[in-house]
Formats: sequence, C-alpha cells, structure tokens
Amino acid sequence: MFFAQVAPDSIVTPDIAWTALVPHLVLAGGAILMLMVWSLAGRWLPRWLPSMVTAAVGLGAAIGSIHLWRRVTDADRGPFSAVADSVGIDGFSVFLTVVISLTVVFAALLADGYLRRERLDGPEYHVLLLLSAAGGVTMATANDLIVLFLGLEILSLAVYVLAGYHNRRAQSQEAAIKYFVLGAFSSAFLLYGIALTYGATGSTNLVDINAYLRSTVLVDDGLLLAGFALLLVGLGFKVSAVPFHTWTPDVYQGSPTPVVAFMASGVKAAGFAALLRVFVVTFGTYADDWKPILYALAVATLLVGAILAVVQNDVKRMLAYSSISHAGFMLIGVHAASADGTASVLYYLAVYSVLVIGSFAVVGVVSGTGDGATTVGDFAGLGARRPWLAFAFTVFLLAQAGVPLTTGFFAKFYAITAAVDGRSWALAIVAMLSAVIAAYLYLRIMIAMWLEGSDDDAPIRVPVGTVVVLGVAAAFTIGFGIFPEPIVDLARDATPALVNSP
Amino acid sequence: MLGQYLPILALGVLAVLFAAVSFVASKLLAPRRPTSAKAAPYECGIVPTKEAPERFPVRFFLVAMIFIVFDIEIIFIYPWATIFEGLGLYGLVAMLIFAFAVFESFVYLVGNGALDWGPLKKQVPRTR
Repeated sequence: MFFAQVAPDSIVTPDIAWTALVPHLVLAGGAILMLMVWSLAGRWLPRWLPSMVTAAVGLGAAIGSIHLWRRVTDADRGPFSAVADSVGIDGFSVFLTVVISLTVVFAALLADGYLRRERLDGPEYHVLLLLSAAGGVTMATANDLIVLFLGLEILSLAVYVLAGYHNRRAQSQEAAIKYFVLGAFSSAFLLYGIALTYGATGSTNLVDINAYLRSTVLVDDGLLLAGFALLLVGLGFKVSAVPFHTWTPDVYQGSPTPVVAFMASGVKAAGFAALLRVFVVTFGTYADDWKPILYALAVATLLVGAILAVVQNDVKRMLAYSSISHAGFMLIGVHAASADGTASVLYYLAVYSVLVIGSFAVVGVVSGTGDGATTVGDFAGLGARRPWLAFAFTVFLLAQAGVPLTTGFFAKFYAITAAVDGRSWALAIVAMLSAVIAAYLYLRIMIAMWLEGSDDDAPIRVPVGTVVVLGVAAAFTIGFGIFPEPIVDLARDATPALVNSP
Repeated sequence: MLGQYLPILALGVLAVLFAAVSFVASKLLAPRRPTSAKAAPYECGIVPTKEAPERFPVRFFLVAMIFIVFDIEIIFIYPWATIFEGLGLYGLVAMLIFAFAVFESFVYLVGNGALDWGPLKKQVPRTR
C-alpha cells in the first residue's frame, strides 16, 4: 500500500518514433536474433551463414536509412529529433549511419574466410560486430551527452572483446587488455567532461547546451573549459589523435585483421561523429577557445603519425600509424569549424573507410594462418605471386598517399581546402608535409611487392568474401576517384543540425 | 589551527609504537620449535599429503555468469514493479524488450553447455 501511494498516478512517457530508429533496431535486433538462432540451432547451420547474415543485416540498416535521408533532405520536413530529444536525425547522422553500416558489411565479408582459416568461426564475432555498430550508430545520432556516452560504451565494449577474439594468439590478448584498460580510462575522462559541462550549462541535451551558451555570457567559464578539455581527451582517444594514440599501433598489430579493418573505419567514424557534433555544432560559439587545442592536436597527429609510420617494419603497425596521420587530416576539418570543414571530414571518413578496409583485407590474406606474417618482408614478391592482390593493395596505398585519380586525393584536397579557407596556412603546409612523409611508407610497401623477389612460394588463399571486398573497394576507389561528384555532393548535403521536437 | 589535530597524531604514533613493540617482543620472547605441520600455509587441520596446484575445471564462472544475467534483470525489474501502474503499457513493453535481450544471454550460455555438468560428460563444443 505504501508504495502504491508514493507512485504518481501517471508518468509522462516519451513517444517512440520507431521509424527514426530503423538502423539502430535492425543492427541490435539482428544481433540478438542471430545469437538466439545460433545458440539453439547453431550445430545444424552451415559455417558460412553467420557472415552472410551479418552482411545482410548491415546492408539492411543502410537501406533502412534511405527513408530517413529522404526525410531530412526534404526542404519541407527537414531534420528532427526522436525519443524525448535524445536522438537527433539529420543529414550528418544519416550519412554516418550508412558509412558505419557499410563497414559492417565489409568487416563481415572479410571475417568469413579469416575466421575459418584461424578456426575461430562462430556467431560471436558477428554478433559483437553488429552490437558495436549499433553503438556507433547511437553515437552518430546522439542528441544528448548521456546518449553519446551510452553509444560510446556499447561500441567500445564489443570492440574490446573483438580485439582479443583470437584466443590462441598472445598479441591478441595483449591488444584486448591494453585497449580495454586505456579505453576505460578515456571513457572516465569523457564522463567527467560530461559532468563538468552539465555543471556549467545545466543540461546534457546538446540543443539546450547550445541555446544556453548562445544566450548567456558566462562570467567564469573555467568549469566549461575544463569540461571541453576532458571531453576532448575522451573523444581524442577514440579517434587516436596524438598524444592519445599510444594504444593504436599495439592494438592494430595484435587484433585479428578483420577487427582492425572495422576499428579503423567504423569506430573512427563514430568517434569523429561525436567530435564534430559536440565541438563544431554544440560548442560552436566557443570555437575561439577550443580551436587552438585542436590546432595543436592536428599538427601533432599529422607529424607523429607520418614520421613514426616510416620507421616501422611491420605492415600492420605502418597502417596503424598511417591511420593516425589520416586522423590528423580529419582533425583539420574539425578545426576549420565550418560547413566545408564538416563536409570534408564526412567525405574523408567515407572514402578512407573503404581504403583502410581494402588494405587490411590484403594484409589479412597475406598474414597467413596464425595471422603473424605481417612484416614488409612477407609482402616481398607479392606482385609475382598474386598480381591481382598486389594490384588491389597498390590502388589502396596510392589512394592513401593521395595520388590523383583516386578518392584519397580529393579527401586530402578538401581537408586542406578547409584549412586554407579558415586562413590556417601553417596547418595546410604541415598537412602537405605529412602527406609527403607518409608517401615514403606506401612506396616502401609497393617496392617490396613489385620489385623485390621472394623465395617463399607458399600458396596464398584468397577467400571469396575477401575477393568481393577487394573488388568493390578498388572499384569504389578508382571510380569515385575519377568521378568524385556523387560522394562529394552527399557529404555536402549531410549537414548537421540541432533540433529538439517542439 | 593545526593543534586540534594533535590527538590524531598522538594516536598514530601510539599505533605505530604498539605494532613495533609487539613485533619485537614476539621475536625476543617467543620459543621457536617448528614442525612441518606448523610451517604449512594453514596451521590447523590435516597435514596435506599432495601438492595443491593442479588443473581443475573452472566451470563455476559460467554459473557466476548466469547469476549476473538474472541479477541485472532483477535490478531493473524491481524498481519497475514499484511504479508499474504509473508507467502503464509503455513500461511493460520496454521491460519486455529489456527482459528478452537479457534472457537471450542466458539462452546463449545454455546453448554453449553452461548447464552440462559432471566430469564424465564430454564438454559440449562451441556452436559453429
């Protein structure tokens, strides 16, 4: 009786706009249903089925985003928020939802051959992949700092497990524990930053924070600035910006290669989604305060990534450092704090995801059983042994170096344009320098593949799923490198917006 | 100002002194006649006849997992039950979705042989 009296008569419950949540629901529901089916009937199902189902679910989430894209780009309806203003659907979030969903498709196709070769096959990898992508989509669509944190945790917890998925390989275990400990630490930073921002502005809703900062002049903004700094540490860790990058090479080297492909594409996309939405969109009025920090981060990330990549001897570590240097280019777009800057980051994320997945697809095949043969020497003579594999890798490396007629060229071009438009000449020059330094490392791998001989004639098996990924990624890289307009237009239309329901 | 903390300091000094005096006194006064039973890690009960470190199946962690599954579920169901009427259909549907997702992990555990006990039974292989 006592409890019945305390409970209020009715609690106002939010409307759930299920249509706005289609990508989330497809990914998370797909994961749970898949786990259920394989728990009950796994023994009678074929071994190739999990990756096909996962790819289909990822594709379904991407297709399920199309109606949202139509709605937000329609001039009459425009962006909207759902579930008590905790989820914001705008061009920006739908674009990144599609990117993350498609990285799931690729990562699932890559995993099929890899997991069977390493005798790790089962539904767990795919379930974790889908859950992690659901977290990434939650992060990209978050309209509230708490929802952002929830998304980050869903994303990260699954990826921590995936990093240690190769349970017979010590480096994989090491990568998992390293990523987990440092990741938990950075999550704490982020949460503390959220707490301080809440303390300074009185809300965790991004729209309310933005409105508050626009309408109020803070006499003492120390609390808010401390919140900025802690948020930047937490998010900088996820996108592996220097000096929060130290986990990246070890984790990329140790983790199973398809997982690395997802980490460098899907996880990075979610991290940059949060960085853009929180800093550029929400804290836009305080850009003068956070821009200098981001400037320093971008310069350090560009140079450290490129220089340390050159001195590595392991291709996975090289690609890890090169991914740090690519994150530097995206940070330039964040630093610009303009519509063009945001569009350049989105374009960079879309094309870089494809490039890095293609690159790690090749590495995963060449590394052989045990996933250990990843030194530059192991790639020697690949051009003679598997010319098409070497050709595909060459395309991805050239694109990462930013050679014209590939998507990578336009990615770097738009990032540097954003810096120049923002009158950050020095940053643009540092970016170009970094591109030149990094070009050496891509050349080193290419020279090993095409010009050096090898007495190793062990056959390299390329599974069907990997062939599909390589074909699609290479066609994407060259095709949209020659005709870049479609993706550039999509990235330009994908504008972020801050709206609460009326 | 700091004078009011003097009793705490005095107590700290006393504690250190007491511990030190006890150790020294025990070293000086106690007779030492060790036997193998006394030197064993636990100075009571039966003298161990074989080495302790040997492999044993750690099946308990799966039971612990099952416990956590239902623990989490109860943690959320209990407060929901107290305001069940106020939340109405919305709360019921939300709780059902949550309960299904959590119960799913129990299905996974059982599917992987968490409840197949006994030393003679062959361990169920991972589902493929």
